[in-house]
Amino acid sequence: MTAADKNTSKGKAGKDKATDGQRASWRLLAVAWFIPGSGHWLLGKKKRAIVFAVVILCGFVTGVLFGGEIGTPKPQSPFSWLAALACLGNGVLSLGRLVWLNGVGGLLHGFPFAIQGGGNPSDAGFAYGNTFLYTAGLMNLLTILDVSDIARGQKD
Amino acid sequence: MDHLFLMLWHALLVSVFFAFLWRSTPTGRRKLFLKTFLIMVVGASVLGWLMYPFP
Repeated sequence: MTAADKNTSKGKAGKDKATDGQRASWRLLAVAWFIPGSGHWLLGKKKRAIVFAVVILCGFVTGVLFGGEIGTPKPQSPFSWLAALACLGNGVLSLGRLVWLNGVGGLLHGFPFAIQGGGNPSDAGFAYGNTFLYTAGLMNLLTILDVSDIARGQKD
Repeated sequence: MDHLFLMLWHALLVSVFFAFLWRSTPTGRRKLFLKTFLIMVVGASVLGWLMYPFP
């Protein structure tokens, strides 16, 4: 039985799987980014999916509750792009928070430098909140790499 | 705001995440969880005490 046969025999879970040496489906990776844990769920790794979803959600909610700011690009501040990338890793959580703060119109018109990320730098929990938001986003980005490895047959 | 609680909470989330990311057996996950959790908590506490004399 070839790797392709094994993948097709797994039904829906195997639909987005790539054979050895191939790239993982970009749709699978996009879904894995957008909804934390969903990539593992689609590949049949349900226990891991639930744990990742819960951990990332807890990290994100803690960050928001402690007054963290969703990273947004700021002029004359190149490192703010890194913060924005880390926070964007949260997928729908990050986008939902930005829509909550700016509205869809504000988000579109304010892109990229006039988007509000929430939080107040003078709050005691600001730095802690940011840390949780960045950590949650980066963890979700790592799960995307993990989904890619699993889909390509590089990992169980 | 309890700083120690936040550190423990952060260490817990990160340790659970990496235990499930890098290990596939329950025993392996438990060991990695304990190792990373203790390294983060004990390491941060020791560093905190070492920095205590400095302004």
